[in-house]
Amino acid sequence: MNSLRSRLLLIAAAIGLSVFALFPRATEVREKKPDGSFVNTTKRLWPLKYGLDLQGGMHLALEIDESKGAVADKKDALGRALKTVRNRIDQFGVSEPVVQQSGDDRIIVELPGIDDQQRAQDVVQKSAFLQFQITDETNALEKSLPRVDAAIRAQKLDGTPATGVAATATGPSAAAPLSGLLTGDTTKKKPATAADSAKAAAPAVADSAKKDANGPMTRLVQPGQFAGQYYVKESDVARVTSFLADSAVRNAIAPGKVLRFGDKPIGGDPAAGGVLYRPLYMLDSKPIITGEFLTDAKPNRNQLEPGYVVEFEFNAEGGRVFRRETGKHLRDNMAVVLDDRVVTAPTINSAIGRNGQITLGGAGLQEAQDLALVLRAGALPVPLKVAEMRNIGASLGQDSIDKGKLAFGIAIMMVIVIMVGYYRFSGVIAVVALGLYIFFTLAALAGFGATLTLPGLAGLVLGVGIAVDANVLIFERIREEMDRGKSARLSIDEGFKHALSAIVDTSVATILSGAVLYQYGTGPVRGFAVTLVVGVAASLFTAIFVTRTFLLLWLDRTGGTKPLSI
Amino acid sequence: MLRIFHNTKYDFIKWWKVAAIATIAFMGIGLASFVITGGVNYSVEFTGGTLVQLKFKQAADAGKIRAALDGAGIRGAEVQQFGGPDEYIIRAQEKTLVSQQAAGAEKVADQIKAALDKSLGAETYTVARKESISPKVGEELSRNAWIAMVLVSLATLIYLAFRFEWRFGVAAVVATLHDTIVTLAFIKLLHLEVSLTVVAAILTLLGYSMNDTIIIFDRVRENLRTAGKDSLYNVLNRSINDTLPRSIMTHATTFAASLALLLFAGEVIRPFAWVMTFGIFVATFSSIYVAGPVLLWIEAKFPRKATAGSAARTDGAAKRAGAVATR
Repeated sequence: MNSLRSRLLLIAAAIGLSVFALFPRATEVREKKPDGSFVNTTKRLWPLKYGLDLQGGMHLALEIDESKGAVADKKDALGRALKTVRNRIDQFGVSEPVVQQSGDDRIIVELPGIDDQQRAQDVVQKSAFLQFQITDETNALEKSLPRVDAAIRAQKLDGTPATGVAATATGPSAAAPLSGLLTGDTTKKKPATAADSAKAAAPAVADSAKKDANGPMTRLVQPGQFAGQYYVKESDVARVTSFLADSAVRNAIAPGKVLRFGDKPIGGDPAAGGVLYRPLYMLDSKPIITGEFLTDAKPNRNQLEPGYVVEFEFNAEGGRVFRRETGKHLRDNMAVVLDDRVVTAPTINSAIGRNGQITLGGAGLQEAQDLALVLRAGALPVPLKVAEMRNIGASLGQDSIDKGKLAFGIAIMMVIVIMVGYYRFSGVIAVVALGLYIFFTLAALAGFGATLTLPGLAGLVLGVGIAVDANVLIFERIREEMDRGKSARLSIDEGFKHALSAIVDTSVATILSGAVLYQYGTGPVRGFAVTLVVGVAASLFTAIFVTRTFLLLWLDRTGGTKPLSI
Repeated sequence: MLRIFHNTKYDFIKWWKVAAIATIAFMGIGLASFVITGGVNYSVEFTGGTLVQLKFKQAADAGKIRAALDGAGIRGAEVQQFGGPDEYIIRAQEKTLVSQQAAGAEKVADQIKAALDKSLGAETYTVARKESISPKVGEELSRNAWIAMVLVSLATLIYLAFRFEWRFGVAAVVATLHDTIVTLAFIKLLHLEVSLTVVAAILTLLGYSMNDTIIIFDRVRENLRTAGKDSLYNVLNRSINDTLPRSIMTHATTFAASLALLLFAGEVIRPFAWVMTFGIFVATFSSIYVAGPVLLWIEAKFPRKATAGSAARTDGAAKRAGAVATR
């Protein structure tokens, strides 16, 4: 009786603990308001975590991208990249994101409930390397073009004819081939310095330029609106990019200068017969300052025209450098270069100190917000590429949950019918034990902070079928002992004793598989492994301990004189 | 007291030849299918590649989806209806496509999306699921799956060796091996996609099947102690009969659960449910008709000293396949 009471107390304690583990609790949820700020609201949530395959979301595995150059200290680079990514994701406004290192060479990012995959990927992957570079004033491109053309021909990069014919006059500027520019006509804003140097260079270059007006590069490039800016037809961008990818071609460009494309095309709407052009800029390769001095960046509405700007702030040292450099380059154009793309190239009207802004032509608030976010969080020390990406829509996840619950309910009903139909009173005990098994399993998953995935849910359903096995083994043994004419009490004792070794064997086998699966599986399968192992433990407790306690209770009530309904 | 298969005295082992022929035939068909149509259908997780699950607003046509992909130069992608007529799955596992993903796993998925947007319209469908796996990750995942399979087998082997004496252990291992092969043949014949989840199902199944064998062998060991001069053949039969009600009940409940999964839990988990449902039959079969006969065969080849006499009789009994077991 005493032992019976302590048994009941232990079961009650387990139930109490489980209720506590499963009780809905106040959880802080981070939500993003429409204006981009975050609020922490408190919600009462059921504490069982769903995996990405059930709640919908995005799983990303990123690796260091070495296609643009080897990375010397990968481990260190990955560590710093991890910090940056974590910084960005923290500000991204997803509740319960996961950012962690996996192995030596991978960063795992998990974003529950994310639907806009492209945006999330951009925020994670964008290098956000910000540079301020002065545009070229010396007609360096014009001078380099003959050599560039020669290099392209020498490298045999000039295959099929270009789609763009140089002399079309539909461009955003009154476009003429560059060779024309060299002979006088220009649309430059600041003719003073640029024209001088153009004149100086003209005799030498014009000769070869004339000969080569149809050079592979020359005919694709048209002058832009100010020194150092050019236009390339959008349809030719890929061609020019492939030329510039060749190191011999890059070496042919004037030393100390780089060519960078703008981030967006401009010009007519192609649907209306217009032609799209992409700005191309010749820049001083040494930036006057980079984003490493940034302390803050935030999106704002553009005061002068429709659209948005990102306002940034440098620290004191950055402010000093920026003021000095912009002061030196008054009336020059300064290109704001993000990840090797020119976002904007305004004229410097006065020296700029700690505060500046980047004008985003035609960009929405979202884009301005995301740019501010990545600038604040800092540049990625190395480029990252996607090694693995999984997206599950929230509706598919919900569908899986609904169907899983249905299958769960049906499995339980069928098992109840089978057990009670066959074992009668003892079957009822087994069913109560089964109910507790499910309850304990869920509680343990919640209590250990495990994640319920779709395979895990399947494991739970399957577990309902398998968990009664221990009870079946015990009941069959008890029946055999009763067949030998033993009393109910003795049969129960013997039945449990004999069935135990087989039950332990089966449990060990399952735990072994579960442990290996956990070690070598990915997210969803790990969820399955956890459910499996937790289920086995719960089943051991309910089948052996709880069922026996109930049978002892029955013996206690009836005095062991009645035949056991089994 | 409701009883089924109580105190039965079926001579299960008598039918071992028929059983052997049946299972070898099944394996043979599976093997032939392997030879003729190539290996099993590995998921993108293992090969690297891209899977896109689409949900259309209206019933859609696989031909049009295929045409859209072909038009964009995405070759060798498989388009398959998935559940209802408005749901489709696209699998791009062709080698050149997969190698493109080495530079960024999302590339092919983006191409597929662009192709569909262009020819079917972005508003006609939504992407319900997308998996993009670079070839490197695919290699790692398949290596991990193999390691998992081997480790589970090894761990099982060690546990069995520890738990039983070697004759029983080897018989149980052979039965487990049999289950793996037969399940693979089944997966092949049903064209099930082998994903990590299916590997998990196979491993669970191995555990489940081993349970069955262990429970029968446990009983054999127990019955051997009281067997006296009875042959192992008879002891085996008796043990199978003794544990028959338990086997029927456990298989019934597990079958009920996996049937619920198969019918109601949706398309994503269906390959898992198929393997489990089939596996229940395989486990039942192998614990009786593989583990048992193999144990008899081992006993005949390597008779234990203490019971050399009974082992010899076992040998005879096994050869006389038609012998009726007496108790």
